[in-house]
Amino acid sequence: MVKSKKKFIDYVSKGFEKGWKHIDASLVTSDETLEADVVIVGSGAGGGNTAEILAQVGLYVIIVEEGPLKTSNDFRMKEDEAYSMLYQESASRQTRDRGIKIFQGRMVGGGTGVNWTTSFRTPETTLNFWVDQMGVKGFSESEMSPWFEWVEKRYKIQSWSLPSNANNSVLETGCTRLGIGWGKIKRNVVGCQNLGYCGTGCPTNAKQSTLITTIPGALKEGAMLISKARAENFEIKNGRIISLKCLSMTKRGNAPSKKFFKIRAKHYVLAAGGIGSPAVLLRSKNKIFNPYGIVGKRTFLHPVNLSGAIMPFEVFGEYGAPQTSFSDHYIDTRLDLNKSGFKLECPPLQPMLVATNLEGHGKFHSEIMRKRPFLQVLIALQRDGFHPESIGGSVFLKKDGSPGLDYTVSSYVWDGIRDAFHVMADIQFAAGAKSVSPVHRDAAIYKSPKKAKEAISSLPMEILKARLFSAHVMGGCPMGEDPEKSVVNSEGTHHEVENLSVFDGSVFPTSIGANPMESIFAISAKFSQELAKKIG
Amino acid sequence: MLTRRSLLKKSAVSGVTILAFETCLASPTIPPAPEDLGHHFEFLSLQDRGILSKLIPVILADSLPSSLDEAELSIKEIIIGWDIAVLGLPILTQTELKRLFEVMKSNFILSMTPRLITGVPSAWEDPSEIENFLNKWRKSEPDNFITGNELRVGYMGLVEITVACWYGNPRSWEFCGYYGPINLNSLIP
Repeated sequence: MVKSKKKFIDYVSKGFEKGWKHIDASLVTSDETLEADVVIVGSGAGGGNTAEILAQVGLYVIIVEEGPLKTSNDFRMKEDEAYSMLYQESASRQTRDRGIKIFQGRMVGGGTGVNWTTSFRTPETTLNFWVDQMGVKGFSESEMSPWFEWVEKRYKIQSWSLPSNANNSVLETGCTRLGIGWGKIKRNVVGCQNLGYCGTGCPTNAKQSTLITTIPGALKEGAMLISKARAENFEIKNGRIISLKCLSMTKRGNAPSKKFFKIRAKHYVLAAGGIGSPAVLLRSKNKIFNPYGIVGKRTFLHPVNLSGAIMPFEVFGEYGAPQTSFSDHYIDTRLDLNKSGFKLECPPLQPMLVATNLEGHGKFHSEIMRKRPFLQVLIALQRDGFHPESIGGSVFLKKDGSPGLDYTVSSYVWDGIRDAFHVMADIQFAAGAKSVSPVHRDAAIYKSPKKAKEAISSLPMEILKARLFSAHVMGGCPMGEDPEKSVVNSEGTHHEVENLSVFDGSVFPTSIGANPMESIFAISAKFSQELAKKIG
Repeated sequence: MLTRRSLLKKSAVSGVTILAFETCLASPTIPPAPEDLGHHFEFLSLQDRGILSKLIPVILADSLPSSLDEAELSIKEIIIGWDIAVLGLPILTQTELKRLFEVMKSNFILSMTPRLITGVPSAWEDPSEIENFLNKWRKSEPDNFITGNELRVGYMGLVEITVACWYGNPRSWEFCGYYGPINLNSLIP
């Protein structure tokens, strides 16, 4: 037999073989202090992007990442391996009351390594709200569009030309039949094989995550990557940070060990995401980082509810690009109604992901699992943070110093969640669903639109009853010009500590109202270029 | 937080509950753990494994193989999967799960139908009692005088880890119509 030549080359691991600088902190025993021009905490959309831009102007950059370095050869499309390897808390992170499950990437590449490649510019309504209501400068649509253009080029964000898989087609068909506007999602992929396994790490390096783009870009310029190290806290002297203390993670990677090392740098950039970045400031336990007590406050989640449908045809939602269609109809039409708006999208449907997020057990659960090839799922993302009642959550430290999140769903958002259950059922039935079941403790399987409507109208909209999720943690270190209401200024620099910046989704003053990756890319690009001019 | 102390405190409002609680602390025979297939358990105790071996068939119902041998093997693999999965979780979560097993052991009897209170030792052998127990936890309300939302949270964790361990296992795929990931080599021309 002729041995076939392997087409999908793992060129990131080849780069390390050729000498890119990388330390797996869990394997290191020495505790020497490292020196750099800039240390960046986090390697996702914010950190990776920043690393390349700063390294390219000749700064010596060290990137600290809590998760492991895994590359395409490690991404075997196996759910049992991927979730524990690549996600925060094995994909079981939750709010304090366990009412919202939070999916966050934790790997070199951060969320960009495991997200579904969905790319949207920050909506103009969101940018205007920041400028008009939140005291942010330099974020008008016209000021931001060059940055969107720039990151769209860098991360190959483009229209997706293949037809949607059957799961997404149901959203398209249902919306069309009901006269609801919908659109196709742009994706950051090159040569995508339409496999459907974005969520377990791209095995073909089609997804333009920071793992295969800007982190290699930084490493080629001589930057150093430290994986499996948790940034613990900053040490401060005369109002300036003098070092960052990092803890090595254990080999298993689920906890920090007692080993630590320090990094001294001229400038420090937090890019550990919502929850992660505020946590480093809270652990630093110095009032200068948090003089008005707002670090970790206004953390937003785009709370998501789900509606499952059994279609009369095979869906096989595990295959094909997972997220290719959306509808903003219920954002656009609810803006003036003073109602919580929501975006409609679809998730991938691999069996473990489906099984762990369904309600119930026993016959109810196994019946849905047996019909899984026919299962279609819609999700609705609530646009939180734009209403006086929608104030978001608050990051706190647990007794071991790890971060948690309190998040109370306001009645304003609950109303939006109930409306979204109605709308999703309507769309699914319009597309031909045989039955629909909202993912809710008290819901049954409904065989007619009328029955679904009646039931949804009376389901209690309460935490732990409606099953809620989040894949978008935003805010916690909001930007703005007023130091009493924001943590960093409109350039991402800390109001009190001038050699500290925050370049990630935690600077958003509200949620985005769209999947946030491209917003994080654009904002961190803008901030990093400004910083490069100052210190480069 | 799911603790025995909070459970006791809440249950103190009812004399009947206390009585039932004392009975259970005194008695229930935990089912024997299945063999370990050579896995060295670091998290689950023998008792935990015994309890799981009875819960798993009720949680997974028709999604387990119908042949007894295959079902037994699947259950063993799920229990091993549990041990591995929990060890990858944050230490604080592991502590909570330890407590979950403690509370399960002591709370099981509270969920039983009265006729069985005298027949405690065999209760874990009765799938309808286990179903009843799971449903009470599933439906528990924050203002329940015994429980609070802790039991609902415990239920969700118990089911989630169990189904994760099963549907991550290729042996389950025929029960959910999954053909597995695409073979990358088939894409290479």
